[in-house]
Amino acid sequence: MTRIAVLSAGLSNPSSTRLLADRLTDRVVGRLSTGSPDGDDTQGGVRVDVIEVRELAHPLADNLLTGFPSGALEAAIEAVRAADALIVVSPVFAASYSGLFKMFFDVLEPDLLRGKPVLLAATAGTARHSLVLEHALRPLFAYLGATTVPTAVFAASEDWGSAAAGGPSLNDRIDRAATELAALLAPVPAVSGTDHADRARPHRWGSADGFEHPVEFTDLLRSVQA
Amino acid sequence: MQFGIFSVGDVTPDPTTGRTPTEHERIKAMIAIAEKAEEVGLDVFATGEHHNPPFVPSSPTTMLGYLAAKTQKLILSTATTLITTNDPVKIAEDFAMLQHIADGWVDLMLGRGNTGPVYPWFGQDIRNGIPLSLENYDLLRRLWTEDVVDWQGKFRSPLQSFTATPRPLDGVAPFVWHGSIRSPEIAEQAAYYGDGFFHNNIFWPMSHTRQMIELYRNRFEHYGHGDADQAIVGLGGQAFIRKNSQDAVNEFRPYFDHAPVYGGGPSLEDFSRQTPLTVGSPQQVIERTLSFRDYAGDYQRQLFLMDHAGLPLKTVLEQLDLLGEEVVPVLRKEFAALRPAHVPAGPTHASLLAAQSAKNEANAQELTV
Repeated sequence: MTRIAVLSAGLSNPSSTRLLADRLTDRVVGRLSTGSPDGDDTQGGVRVDVIEVRELAHPLADNLLTGFPSGALEAAIEAVRAADALIVVSPVFAASYSGLFKMFFDVLEPDLLRGKPVLLAATAGTARHSLVLEHALRPLFAYLGATTVPTAVFAASEDWGSAAAGGPSLNDRIDRAATELAALLAPVPAVSGTDHADRARPHRWGSADGFEHPVEFTDLLRSVQA
Repeated sequence: MQFGIFSVGDVTPDPTTGRTPTEHERIKAMIAIAEKAEEVGLDVFATGEHHNPPFVPSSPTTMLGYLAAKTQKLILSTATTLITTNDPVKIAEDFAMLQHIADGWVDLMLGRGNTGPVYPWFGQDIRNGIPLSLENYDLLRRLWTEDVVDWQGKFRSPLQSFTATPRPLDGVAPFVWHGSIRSPEIAEQAAYYGDGFFHNNIFWPMSHTRQMIELYRNRFEHYGHGDADQAIVGLGGQAFIRKNSQDAVNEFRPYFDHAPVYGGGPSLEDFSRQTPLTVGSPQQVIERTLSFRDYAGDYQRQLFLMDHAGLPLKTVLEQLDLLGEEVVPVLRKEFAALRPAHVPAGPTHASLLAAQSAKNEANAQELTV
């Protein structure tokens, strides 16, 4: 089963940010789906977890102050951890993603997104903000180590009412981004020697690895001198 | 099982009056609180170590040395001593000296502190936090157990034919606890040496505490110090107690809402559900504390945080009366009844000395046979 986590940071209800998130999700699921419905929360072998960041506003503020996620936020972070890919959509606020959108990524532990395919999208009142995707969202996800889909999707208010004005329409862009994300999720043959590469990686002090794979203390002490 | 208190030593305005104690008042209050701890029958007083305002305890052995003269059987400890930025040679000397002055009523807890700039202020790099803990403690331990030490490492100038003085009292080093909230290497370190592991158990959900203690216990067994349930575990906790539970909540709420650590964040009620904080009647504190055993197993030391967030001295002393008279006697009885015979009691100088004598005797017998 493929798991997709969809993060929508719109504040109003209904929200055009959520609308864009839903369109992207439908198209991605369509690309990945095997066609047979197989459960309550999966369609054709794809499970979708939608995270409405607005509902997590208070737990996010608490997390910043206390250092740990509570309740619904913990569940949302687990959904992101378990996801094979992410679709993230933010409204544009003051020439960037919204503060609430950023807070969610601020509280994730380092490396949680490393290597995960992420489809970037944003909404705004006018197309003048469209480069926010390239100037704000893409650098953020590059820093987090995610693999961003080449096509990022921007929807200004006018896009919901107009067909293509001299370029691909919103639906075309959604389709292209969804296809690119689905391609990133195609099964690839296992790389041989991965285990070896993991072992060769230097020990990361304080990482959660130590709980599942304890390192002999004499090795730890020796690595201090290295 | 040992019960006590640990103090951060913060100078915080009392949010109900707006009054901020002077450093002098706060230092004297910490001393009064420690003396009160012995008076109400607690076993341990531990002070933090900080090198920046608004905290006063920068020099723990100075304070504990004074307390050694004022108390009889109170274990004087730290929570925590910075193993990262203190010279391990000076820790070895200071705590061996304190151990003699206090007739053995001393142990210490090592940690990495909570203030990033302390590293550069003391000439270190925060990215080396865990490596400093590992190397410095390995040296500290040798300085206490070996009379003459030749040593070379990464972080400190080498030592040739060095003897730390005074030697530990009766040839038994002070017991060491390693404190960490979430670094598996520190649990590993405590397990490797067969030392104690302490989880502050205050700011984070119980699931984090459980994960660290499970790792420590399993690795304690792995390194051959005994069964996992014989490892030496200490826990923190925080409580505010009044006879009537609603009085406790009403009185503590302004302190919680303005506390430097969690003020402005979750509600008192949410935070009490998510973490071990207990605000209520003695019976509620008893029940909550007994429940720590569900995730930590049978453990050896319970320290409570009682003097923080601007609570006035008078209130803290009343809290200690309630803790010592109504909470701890019941906890002692209940925990003792639950603890299997093969699980060791909390470590003291006397128990460490007895263990060492038994070991020496066994070795001697082996030689004669």
